[in-house]
Amino acid sequence: MFRNSTGVVGLGDLLQPVRRRLGLAITLQAAAAVVAVVPLAAVAELARVLLAAGPIDHDRAWQVAGIAAGALIGWLALSGVASALAHHADLDFQLSVRRRLVRHLGRVPLGWFTDRGAGAIGKAVQHDVDTMHHLVAHAALSLTSSVITPVVTLVYLFTVDWRMALILLIPITAGVAVFVRLAMTMESQTAAFDEAQQRIAGRVVEFVEGIAVVKLFGQARRAHAQYGQAADDFARFFLAWVSKGYRASAVSELLLSPVTVLLAVLVGGTAMVTSGRLAATELLPFAILGLGLASPLQALHYYSHDAEKASVAAKRVGSLLAAPVLEVARDPRRPVGARVELAAVQYAYDAGRPVLNGIDLVLEPGTVTALVGASGSGKTTLAKLLPRFFDPVSGWVAIGGVDVREIAPAELYRLVSFVLQDVQLLDASVRDNIRLARPDADDETVRRAARAAAIDERIRALPLGYDAVVGRDVRLSGGEAQRVSIARAILADTPIVVLDEATAHADAESEALIQDALSELAAGRTVLVVAHRLASVVGADRIVVLHEGRIVEQGRHEELLTAGGPYARLWELQEDHVGAGAAVGSGEGR
Amino acid sequence: MIRRLFRALGPQYDRTLRRLLGLLVVAALLQGAAFVVLVPALRELLGDEPARAWPWVIGLAVLWIGYAVVNPLATLAGFRTGAGLSRDLHHRIGDKVAQLPLAWFTADRVGGLGRLASQRILDVMGVPAHLLRQLVDATVMPLVVVLAMAVFDWRLAVAMAVAGVVVAVVYRVASRGLAAADHEADRIHADAAGRIVEFARAQPVLRAFGRTVDGHAVLDEALAAQHRAGRRILRAGLSGVVGLGFVAQASFVVMLALGTYLVLGGSLGAAELVALLVLAVRFVEPVMLTAELGGALRVAGNALQEINSLLATETLDEPERSARPNGSSVELRDVHFSYGDSPVLTGLSMEVPAGRLTALVGASGAGKTTVVKLIARFFDPAAGAVRVGGADVRELRTEDLTALISVVFQDVYLFEGSILDNIRVGRPEATDEQVYAAARTARVDDIAERLPGGWHAPVGEAGSRLSGGERQRISIARALLKDTPIVLFDEATAALDADNEHALHAAMTALARDRTVLVIAHRLHTLQAADHIVVLAGGRCVEQGRHDDLLARNGRYAHYWRERRRARGWRLQRPDGPESALHKGFRAGDLVPE
Repeated sequence: MFRNSTGVVGLGDLLQPVRRRLGLAITLQAAAAVVAVVPLAAVAELARVLLAAGPIDHDRAWQVAGIAAGALIGWLALSGVASALAHHADLDFQLSVRRRLVRHLGRVPLGWFTDRGAGAIGKAVQHDVDTMHHLVAHAALSLTSSVITPVVTLVYLFTVDWRMALILLIPITAGVAVFVRLAMTMESQTAAFDEAQQRIAGRVVEFVEGIAVVKLFGQARRAHAQYGQAADDFARFFLAWVSKGYRASAVSELLLSPVTVLLAVLVGGTAMVTSGRLAATELLPFAILGLGLASPLQALHYYSHDAEKASVAAKRVGSLLAAPVLEVARDPRRPVGARVELAAVQYAYDAGRPVLNGIDLVLEPGTVTALVGASGSGKTTLAKLLPRFFDPVSGWVAIGGVDVREIAPAELYRLVSFVLQDVQLLDASVRDNIRLARPDADDETVRRAARAAAIDERIRALPLGYDAVVGRDVRLSGGEAQRVSIARAILADTPIVVLDEATAHADAESEALIQDALSELAAGRTVLVVAHRLASVVGADRIVVLHEGRIVEQGRHEELLTAGGPYARLWELQEDHVGAGAAVGSGEGR
Repeated sequence: MIRRLFRALGPQYDRTLRRLLGLLVVAALLQGAAFVVLVPALRELLGDEPARAWPWVIGLAVLWIGYAVVNPLATLAGFRTGAGLSRDLHHRIGDKVAQLPLAWFTADRVGGLGRLASQRILDVMGVPAHLLRQLVDATVMPLVVVLAMAVFDWRLAVAMAVAGVVVAVVYRVASRGLAAADHEADRIHADAAGRIVEFARAQPVLRAFGRTVDGHAVLDEALAAQHRAGRRILRAGLSGVVGLGFVAQASFVVMLALGTYLVLGGSLGAAELVALLVLAVRFVEPVMLTAELGGALRVAGNALQEINSLLATETLDEPERSARPNGSSVELRDVHFSYGDSPVLTGLSMEVPAGRLTALVGASGAGKTTVVKLIARFFDPAAGAVRVGGADVRELRTEDLTALISVVFQDVYLFEGSILDNIRVGRPEATDEQVYAAARTARVDDIAERLPGGWHAPVGEAGSRLSGGERQRISIARALLKDTPIVLFDEATAALDADNEHALHAAMTALARDRTVLVIAHRLHTLQAADHIVVLAGGRCVEQGRHDDLLARNGRYAHYWRERRRARGWRLQRPDGPESALHKGFRAGDLVPE
């Protein structure tokens, strides 16, 4: 039933909407990188003009100074525009990726969410996309200038004097060689570092998340000691790790530092000038341009870690986008009526462990059907097939004669609404919460629904009334929240309603009101109830008993009791339990 | 920044930090001096006798040796300090967390704490290891260059000093604007993050009402707002960075023009100018780098601030030595408590007699859970006293109090581990046999049977693979294993299926045996069985006694009892009356049986 996309969505695909702008930014940055060499070369040229034998050519001197100044401004403008372009592209990129993620996640089967947890999804959509910022906004640009500027500089210096250029390259080449060797041996070490970091992070999470429980059980001292041990281990590991590569990295850093390059230039240059092999003015370009040659290399190193993190994040985002989605029919069919039919339905969360097995069931329009059975019997899973939270592995679910997979999603939601076991209110106004299914519903309609669900009075008593934002302006009790969710379903006004018995967080008064609200909702609709308490559904038109994914019994309450089967046993168990005065703490000489 | 670092580390780190700073300053000075030597060396080389440059070259070599010695020392000291910093901050945070009152640990804060102790500490570690050097370089080297310039030509030095001041001012202004924009962006970012989590969490309801078909408008608006905020911060940020770059480069241009003018006027030697310009380039470079470092510095600064504010959180006082409790009765005497401005308990006095089952009832919001949390000392009352075995809980050390009390909450937190691990937390040194025994008594064996992997089956993140009733059974097994004389129990309000209800009931009965039990009761049979019932209303105890006596009194409890019996969950009924107005729009045809 799931469409498997062609593996993970790659970064190239994600970048598609901003590719042209990024390309332009890189081109501009490349131009800037070339222009960056000009001001310094101009200073060297200025020196030649000023130091030339005979009277100084004033015009020429000002001209060269002007070129230097102009090139600086040009460089600044080019690189500024390139950076602005890349950053804007990045912002649009982030928005497009986030929207894409949200659109995609709205279509994956619901079971996928329970496996992940809202926090992890939030992290991927916000944090991982943020982390990719570096890749989009910086990496390409800094790579461009870090390569082009040194190359152009070197070419220029070789044209000035190739011998000096070679001398200049001695410390730089040596430094790079040491660095590369180090990087190669450190590659495995980096994994070790990541591992150590993971370890301490794991300990931290364990300590922090468990601390409340641990304190409650008087184990704080012990957990604390373990955590402290992990912190010490990490610090020790870090030092050992650093000192392993430390000598080589110190040597490479020293060789590449401007001070070393300066020493090489001055020693070599002085020797060549005093021996008459080089004009002193020819030395100037090396002193001016040579010193900066190595700094982009170090910048590259500095950035490489960020770039690595960004590509890991990109992979995670890509794999989210590759999660299989529920397929939508290309030529949807229109259902007629509200008759629900399940035929030979099979469903399994994990292959090999069927939760539902060969379910055949018909819900006649306008009847109430109750699903009962022990936890794990599959009743909630069955109910969730109707609004298509997921699709059966085999068999089919049809509404009004049409397989739900062939009904357009918008049409399906006009047919079925679902009141969930755990009430989910959004951080929005009460009004918007009630009119979730029909955001354009007017105030009168909203109030009618609220009145029917016996919650209107409570809402109007609030200072902000229907504008009160849930969670911020008003804290609704469990029973009140339930009634809001019932009002929501009443307003949705669908011919089919699926009720997962609201597990009662409600106090006594509230429960009575909820009962009224539910009866109001059920009036005249096709209702499927998942019941956890048998007493709730004795009045149902039909009770269906599930056991280990199969229907084992069905009929009216009285019929089932007389039959003396599994339902009768369940009933007895519950009645016995609720009715018994002998309960907690009885016996034992109280 | 540096001040915050000192504060987070505490005084015992002052010396280490000072040494590190000293080494970094010396390295920067040596580097600056090396560049300065370039001026006389070039002057000689460009003069009539180039060989006179050799002493300066040798001087440079000496400086280089000094730099080659000091710089690695500074790097090493940076790493050492970083490692020490990580260790000390972890410990300080750990010590603090161990002292924080239980009420502090809300889901939000626990998440934040996890981030603080992992990512934030890494951010801070980077300060001595990398950022501090760049910060010192960017300050010291321009200073050296300006001073050297003053020796060779005061006019250029003045120009450079002015440029330096302008750069500093621009940097200040730019980063202040950026910080403000950053703050705003953080808020919007958090808002969007909340919307995304909501989107994921409320997915079932959003789907059930068709809100994912064309996207979720509220979330999309939050994302768009984030995008707009990004543009704003980008404008502020880019104009800052570009402005800084412009000022830095412009100051170079001014020096170039001024120098050329001076040379052409004959008051400055050409060789000097060239050498000074080389120096000026060295002046500009660290400044440009600082602009890029700004972000990293802000991140580390915020991290330090977060750590400092955690370390400054108030904790509950602990006595040096515990008082000796006598027996296992619990007593609240004239207790007042409020959450913020809203009072919850206003002079509550009640008793939980030793070895008995006491039930606590009251409407939601009456303060039942607050009573339990006060006894377990999640927080202290504003006035009045909570006594366990006659001793005020404030006079007991945490470990002594927790040795007396087990709490079974409704929302049970389970570790991501196996069922057995989760039970064992009740008493880590227990034998396997004891753990199994507790598990069986709490009917956890049924759960183990159901799950693939049995006893070793992972319970999932926060116990997500188990139902609420099952989680509570595991929690009861923990309490049984811990075996304390006092048990505080928040009964599940959630409706349970018959099997679960039965198992939970049996487990609780086993736990209640021979212990002092205070139960927040939601089940009718619990009330019937209780030795003592306390009715809370308006922040006080309004009635207390046995079930039958209270019923006979026909007061608030009797009313409550009748309501409960009447409702006892909902029942679906077909209303016989006319359809409500809302149903008028209903497509009647849909309802006609086919």
